Amino acid sequence: MIAFLALIAGVLAGLLLEPTVPVGLQPYLPIAVVAALDAVFGGIRAKLDGVFDDKQFVISFVSNVIVAAFIVYLGDQLGVGGQLSTGVVVVLGVRIFGNVAAIRRHLFRA
Amino acid sequence: MTNASQRPADERRFAPDFLLELFSNPLDPGYADAAARRAAYGPKPPWRKRGALVLRAIALAAVGFLLVVAWREAAAAEPDRTSAHAGLVDEVKTAQKRTDELQVQSDRLRQEVRVQQQAALGGSAAELARVREQEAASGLAPVTGSGVVVRLADAPAPIDPTTGKPSSAEVSRVLDVDLQAVVNGLWAADAEAISINGQRLTATSTIRTAGNAVLVDFRPVTSPYEVSAIGPDDLEARFKGSVAAASMRGLVDHYGLSFSTRYESDLNLPAAPGTALRYARPTASPSPSGGVR
Repeated sequence: MIAFLALIAGVLAGLLLEPTVPVGLQPYLPIAVVAALDAVFGGIRAKLDGVFDDKQFVISFVSNVIVAAFIVYLGDQLGVGGQLSTGVVVVLGVRIFGNVAAIRRHLFRA
Repeated sequence: MTNASQRPADERRFAPDFLLELFSNPLDPGYADAAARRAAYGPKPPWRKRGALVLRAIALAAVGFLLVVAWREAAAAEPDRTSAHAGLVDEVKTAQKRTDELQVQSDRLRQEVRVQQQAALGGSAAELARVREQEAASGLAPVTGSGVVVRLADAPAPIDPTTGKPSSAEVSRVLDVDLQAVVNGLWAADAEAISINGQRLTATSTIRTAGNAVLVDFRPVTSPYEVSAIGPDDLEARFKGSVAAASMRGLVDHYGLSFSTRYESDLNLPAAPGTALRYARPTASPSPSGGVR
């Protein structure tokens, strides 16, 4: 319950504050979103598995976003930013897929 | 994420393929570890539970915030791209309008010059006629007369056999050299005044290709091109017998361009836009004697 409220509060804050993203950070935004989604789906699956842990969730969220952004930054510096972004998206996408599949098994027993 | 380090050393084994691991075990092993800790040490004290709840709420608020920001960015970026294109189109249209305005202004000023000229020359009708004659010959004055209109057009876009619509494939176009050949052919057939799509040609006119457009005196003209020429009555026949017409007929056969000529008894050709001399200077001051120039 509190999780939903917090999520909605974040969405409302984003809508009301109308933040502008600095140009330098714009390439990292999509990657950060994918990393955050990975943490969220991991958390939901853990909740359904009955092993959810707040500390683990918060740390995985923060570290996912930072590591993903760092990898893209590193790729940009090395001149392979696009390819590394693709790599990050593929790895996180696979994890999201696996976690969503587990969530599906929990919810639908299938 | 590395579960190898958490395993006892004596249980060390080769990790399975990285990708296999990724697919088969997408959940962070940290959750399992945390659950194991809870089972071992009992539930956490209430203050830690509350703190953890706050942290979770903050993290989820951050996720929501991130999603909205990313969505707004993506939504804002799209109009940017289309508006840039629209802005460029507007700019081009404004520039074209400005060119047209300047052209009208230039025509008016030229008219004024003619009136002033007439006044300056006073009653000397012979002198005035001579000036008019030379202006008409050099393309600085509008002329009228009978002549021929040569029509050139790009080949039609080939019909795509699968969709039945004109395909976007590159079509055979009329090039600057084709127009140049036609114009030179007309000059050679004793044409006295020529215009392309209403652009009067002078001795210093240029016909060039720039991208997909043909520029006549730096103003774009597009297919179909109508080359109007005023000349003797047999102009059409003489042009048709010229090398230029023969090569155009060859292009029609090979590339599907269209090429036709027709006689026109009443052609009105406009004056050419200003042909200011930039380097050459008249050698003699205009004298009423009308001597050698």
